[in-house]
Amino acid sequence: MPEQKPWDDATGGGAISGAGAGGAMDLAMDEGTTLEKTPGGPEGTGPTGRPRSLWSDAWRDLRRNPVFIVSGLLILFLVVISVWPSLIATQDPLDCDLARAQEGSRPGHPFGFDGQGCDVYTRTVHGARTSVTVGVLSTLGVSLLGGVLGGLAGFFGGAWDAVLSRITDIFFGIPVVLGGLVFLSVVTSSTVWPVIGFIVLLGWPQIARIARGSVITAKQNDYVQAARALGASNSRMLLRHITPNAIAPVIVVATIALGTYISLEATLSYLGVGLKPPAVSWGIDISAASQYVRNAPHMLLWPAGALAVTVLAFIMLGDAVRDALDPKLR
Amino acid sequence: MLLEVRDLHVEFHTRDGVAKAVNGVDYSVAEGETLAVLGESGSGKSVTAQAIMGILDMPPGRISGGEILFQGHDLLKLGADARRRIRGQEMAMIFQDALSSLNPVLSVGDQLGEMFVVHRGMSRGDARAKAVELMDRVRIPAARERAGDFPHQFSGGMRQRIMIAMALALEPDLIIADEPTTALDVTVQAQVMELLAELRRELNMGLILITHDLGVVADVADRIAVMYAGRIVETSPVHDLYRAPAHPYTKGLLKSIPRLDQKGQELYAVKGLPPNLLHIPPGCAFHPRCPMAQAVCRTDVPPLHTVSEERRSACHFWKETLDAR
Repeated sequence: MPEQKPWDDATGGGAISGAGAGGAMDLAMDEGTTLEKTPGGPEGTGPTGRPRSLWSDAWRDLRRNPVFIVSGLLILFLVVISVWPSLIATQDPLDCDLARAQEGSRPGHPFGFDGQGCDVYTRTVHGARTSVTVGVLSTLGVSLLGGVLGGLAGFFGGAWDAVLSRITDIFFGIPVVLGGLVFLSVVTSSTVWPVIGFIVLLGWPQIARIARGSVITAKQNDYVQAARALGASNSRMLLRHITPNAIAPVIVVATIALGTYISLEATLSYLGVGLKPPAVSWGIDISAASQYVRNAPHMLLWPAGALAVTVLAFIMLGDAVRDALDPKLR
Repeated sequence: MLLEVRDLHVEFHTRDGVAKAVNGVDYSVAEGETLAVLGESGSGKSVTAQAIMGILDMPPGRISGGEILFQGHDLLKLGADARRRIRGQEMAMIFQDALSSLNPVLSVGDQLGEMFVVHRGMSRGDARAKAVELMDRVRIPAARERAGDFPHQFSGGMRQRIMIAMALALEPDLIIADEPTTALDVTVQAQVMELLAELRRELNMGLILITHDLGVVADVADRIAVMYAGRIVETSPVHDLYRAPAHPYTKGLLKSIPRLDQKGQELYAVKGLPPNLLHIPPGCAFHPRCPMAQAVCRTDVPPLHTVSEERRSACHFWKETLDAR
């Protein structure tokens, strides 16, 4: 029946009968193969046969990983107190009494007072907002800029790629702290934006490199070639076939980098070029406390401890995500 | 003629020099005909197919000459966008390894449906229904339930059926199957080949079957083109070729098939290695491995001699080869 094109009709009934002419034995063998491969039976929708993907597998792995649970809870707590600090700290972080400067722990003031007589507990809680804002926004900016530029360079290759790779080389050559001192000392604003801008400016090449390499790997996959052979356009290949398969390393590196961005903000604030008082930041408090560390170590320990725990939490999260997204470790 | 490849030349610019992968290939496929392209790895059979599909990586690849006429139009003169619209709708390709040719993060229903979304502008829902229909068509059991499954949840044979369904989705006029069964078990190979042949018959498509498996070819193909070092060395209707090869290389290939009536003997192999494409031997590229080579083979490139109405052989001694069986 060479002229018959059975799937022209919308019902599909004709298609089955048309194809069925092939041979009953053939069909029987097919069913054997399928049964063997899907434990949930031919339907494949039982509890074991639920559709699985890289992401659902990763999520299942993560939920069982104690590192993820601990870091996830910590980060959840941090996000909550940075949105609503008054939930656990009712005082004003800028309400200070010089008379109580450097005093230790008192009832109602568990962490004591800093050099200006401000409540260290309140300032530590309020400092979380700065750190989380800088960390999250910098990471978003870096991932978007670096991901898009690196991804396009990897996909199109050629001159685009050569130019971008040299630009990333140049940025890698800039020492972060020195760059920050020069760049931020000319900025007068005391908000978080110049700091975020600086981190994005210096941070995107790292993500761009990862994204580029990851897209080049994904591009060479047979299914991208197959999609091309079936008429997919460049944008469709990039968005639907390459991006979902190339994004995992970017997510992993970005999560780990988030922690380092938070500590970079603290470093810059410590050096006096990041945030400036009256902004509340762990970096500012650490800087102010450092000269009294012998007399009143509590002023340094609490903000520094909060910073360390926060950075650790994000790096642990990144580690857990990396393990979950790497199929070779399953 | 559905497809005519004329004097096609493809080269790859590598660090070590220019690799001449395809050196003047001529073949043609009529509507509804199955042409098997046979050859060792590196003989240029896949590169020719990629040039026809327009998915050759350029650079490093370059089409340095020839024409590819598809339904009378030279594909090499068309723009990138026009060629993209031809892919999938007019001609489609089935790849060797279905697991790596299917996107691991999309369900097979999505991937099949995408053909209809891209080329026919269908809604997602309609495309999904079409996808299920196609899966039924290639006899995947419980197609409706399995459309949401991911490629790795299917067996090898089932995955190759999905690849076939994707290629046939828009009923193209020409299918290129690049070693479609190489990655499968022998038992499943036969089923998949049978399915492919059957659907090809029903839809009256032209099929280019690229393979190095002579066993697969005998049952399915109408004609055979044997490639060596980027050239066609022999073309022939299938049965004539099996009965009496007209090129020493074809002869060697046929002798190297294991046979039940020759138990206990050493299996024949074409001695030597395929030529380095950077330094293809002068004269007949096959002469260093050829048992019949004479002085003339080292100097003169043999033209495609007409053996009969339907047969050609690129050997100076095709008559002797035919007689010496």
